Amino acid sequence: MAAQNKIWRQLTWTWKPASERDAGDAVVRNLLLHWFPAKVTIGSLSFRYSFWLGTISAVLFGILCITGVPLMFLYVPSVERAYQSVKDIEFVVSFGWFIRALHRLSAHLMVAVVFLHMVRVFFTGAYKNGTAANQARPVNWVIGVAMMLATFFLSFTGYLLPWDQLAYWAVTVGTNIASAAPLVGDKIRFLLLGGNQIEQNTLLRFYVLHCFFLPAFVLFLFLWHMWRVRKDGGLASVDKLSLEQKRQTLPPVKSKTYSLLGITKGRTVHVETALVNEDEHTVNSSPFLTRRILMVTLATVAVICLLALLVATPLEEAANPRVTPNPAKAPWYFLWLQELVTDTTVKLGDFTINGALIGGILVPGLLIALLAVWPWLDKSPVQAVGVWFAAQRRRQNLVFLGILVVVLALTVVGTFLRGPYWLFFWPWEAWPEMPGPF
Amino acid sequence: MNWKNRDTVTVYSFGGVVAVLVGVVFWNYAQPEWKGYQEEFRELVTRKFGPARARQAPSGIQQIWVKELNRVDRCTTCHLGGDWKGLENAPEPYRSHPKEILDKHPVAKYGCTLCHGGQGYATDTDAAHSVGNTNWGEPLLGGELGKANLISNREALIQVNCNICHRNDRETKGADYINYAKRLVDQKGCYACHTIGKRGGAVGPNLTYIGDLAPEQFDYSRMSGKPSVFGWHVAHFKDPKQAVRETVMPNFGFGSKEAQALAMLVMSWKRTNLPMAYMPGVHIPEAQRTAEEMAKDQQMLTGEGAFFVKKTCFICHDVSSFGIESATKIGPDLAMAYSDVQSRFGRTLEDFLKGPTGTMAVVLSTQIHLTEAERDEAIAKLKVAYQRKTEQDAKNKIAKK
Repeated sequence: MAAQNKIWRQLTWTWKPASERDAGDAVVRNLLLHWFPAKVTIGSLSFRYSFWLGTISAVLFGILCITGVPLMFLYVPSVERAYQSVKDIEFVVSFGWFIRALHRLSAHLMVAVVFLHMVRVFFTGAYKNGTAANQARPVNWVIGVAMMLATFFLSFTGYLLPWDQLAYWAVTVGTNIASAAPLVGDKIRFLLLGGNQIEQNTLLRFYVLHCFFLPAFVLFLFLWHMWRVRKDGGLASVDKLSLEQKRQTLPPVKSKTYSLLGITKGRTVHVETALVNEDEHTVNSSPFLTRRILMVTLATVAVICLLALLVATPLEEAANPRVTPNPAKAPWYFLWLQELVTDTTVKLGDFTINGALIGGILVPGLLIALLAVWPWLDKSPVQAVGVWFAAQRRRQNLVFLGILVVVLALTVVGTFLRGPYWLFFWPWEAWPEMPGPF
Repeated sequence: MNWKNRDTVTVYSFGGVVAVLVGVVFWNYAQPEWKGYQEEFRELVTRKFGPARARQAPSGIQQIWVKELNRVDRCTTCHLGGDWKGLENAPEPYRSHPKEILDKHPVAKYGCTLCHGGQGYATDTDAAHSVGNTNWGEPLLGGELGKANLISNREALIQVNCNICHRNDRETKGADYINYAKRLVDQKGCYACHTIGKRGGAVGPNLTYIGDLAPEQFDYSRMSGKPSVFGWHVAHFKDPKQAVRETVMPNFGFGSKEAQALAMLVMSWKRTNLPMAYMPGVHIPEAQRTAEEMAKDQQMLTGEGAFFVKKTCFICHDVSSFGIESATKIGPDLAMAYSDVQSRFGRTLEDFLKGPTGTMAVVLSTQIHLTEAERDEAIAKLKVAYQRKTEQDAKNKIAKK
């Protein structure tokens, strides 16, 4: 009984600690919460600072894993049966439509939220090291960029699985863009598709990537990401707080180092809580952090459930390589690239310069490369860490904003304003009616 | 209220919202559309046959799975009267299915959608019937669609699907539009220009699997109204040049019924991967030919005009003075060609055959190849035919007087 009690205590925690010690134990002694700090700054819990976008991404990833499991049991990754099995999920599996809708909406939303999280971190300069020892926030930023790319690829691989026209042609467009890469383009496409065309090999490849390798990769990066957040002393807003305190020249505050495991070289592994006045600026993680996480989780689940009830999950006709739907579009988060490819395709008389290389490879490649190395190029002072639109980072924030606006504008044009034959239509202009058999 | 208490309230609020939304999902799950139909059916059976029979009515989602056809049809979830006696006049979806068709096409072997169209997977009406649904290519070929396509017999569109299997039948019982269209194909000599199956000409496109063309593969720019394959075919049959400007297909003056019947026929010409057991053969034996008909054939093959039979001119043209009769009469009588060409084109026959224009330019470059010697022979023979024709006409005039 004693052992059972112990296990029980390692999996549960108190929401109403009677003492400081109780509150600390709830986190430190708990299997599920041990990676949280025992205390957090009130500023870290603020919605206005972080919008909790990272947590929302994680919750969405959780919903995707949970809903993905029943879908894996029901879906058949074969060219002959994939579409049928999705139809069955839609029409006869109990709550199948709901599970599929939750999965699809969470996937779309995760792409958007992960992207917004990256935008938030950029605008707050949160990829920069503050004042505490052993920080390596730039590394965590690169992990984040890798996770964002993995999220795109997760969503993209999932896009093919229903094996309907939408899936087939979106992946056709996407992989054709990839093939424009110089020298290795065709090889990349061949590797992705497992052949020269989208067929059974592609489906199986995408399925295995989607259900195992990519989620495992994201999970690994997520753990690393969170570990680094702890090692870096929490959110960047904490560094700002500690800087402000130093300026106030208050009497020295208590500082602590928690010894973590003690298994690495050096004196100890430091998890620095920045030098902030604990009594004034921090609260116990249990229940204040855990409750907010619960709140954000419930809010995210509520939004996804509501959307699932309101938004129909499309399933077009079965994939048909002989009939291209008009227009054929990549998934929405790649539409800025498809639009860019169109806009950089130049016709000079009979001579056409295909935009796939510029719009599909060079521009996005350059942007991603810039993102990855930016923390090392950003030479702004430490005062700009953890501050929205810091004056010291005004110029780079403006450039970033400019790029953001262009990407969003291209996405909007590609998603909403491109109709049949990729012609431009204003929202008030009706698209020509597409023909049917009767 | 401080932020700590506010947090607690917010957590409970979001928890409540999630609970309500999940409740809505369960509520929807508990009362799908088909349950209403099944209850109504039980009431109907109770009224007509008593509660004991009503208990035999199925409940839950029903499906017919035909493994051989790779089809799952859940239509019988709502269409419950299928094989019930005494519901022949019940309202849909409870009416029993006409028995004689089911005897030949047992549901267990054919399912529903193979003939009727629609989406067998679906368990709600809109998705199942898929009329006007762009995400399912096989709409229910029923009255609604027939009405929208202005067909006087609204239910006739289903015949398209009959003929996917029955395309080799001369005549299929019950498929009156298709049967009519097949007669038109013979009478109008479509084979003269089009290959359909194993035989036919090469002037027009091969029509063997024309039904496989996707809606996107037609040009609707010269058509008015809702673009559809059926609409395109109807418009094209009524006036080929209006639909395709550069076509050489003659205008046969088809009315709506003819054009609709032919549109159904050509749309049924699809590839099918049905097992052989599903394909009916040609059951009607060759019609007995009379001695007179056989003598006429013999005369056409060996008589004075045999040249025009051998070179297949006779498919479109009579050569009346030689006793050559075209089944289709698409082109004018060649007995008059010698003077006709002069008056129509302002050119001599010799000149025209060397440099033909219009339909004949297409025919003589794709279908009928004439060597120089053959061309001379044709001109000589047509001169004789013309002479013969004028003599015959003169004789007839005298005889009339």
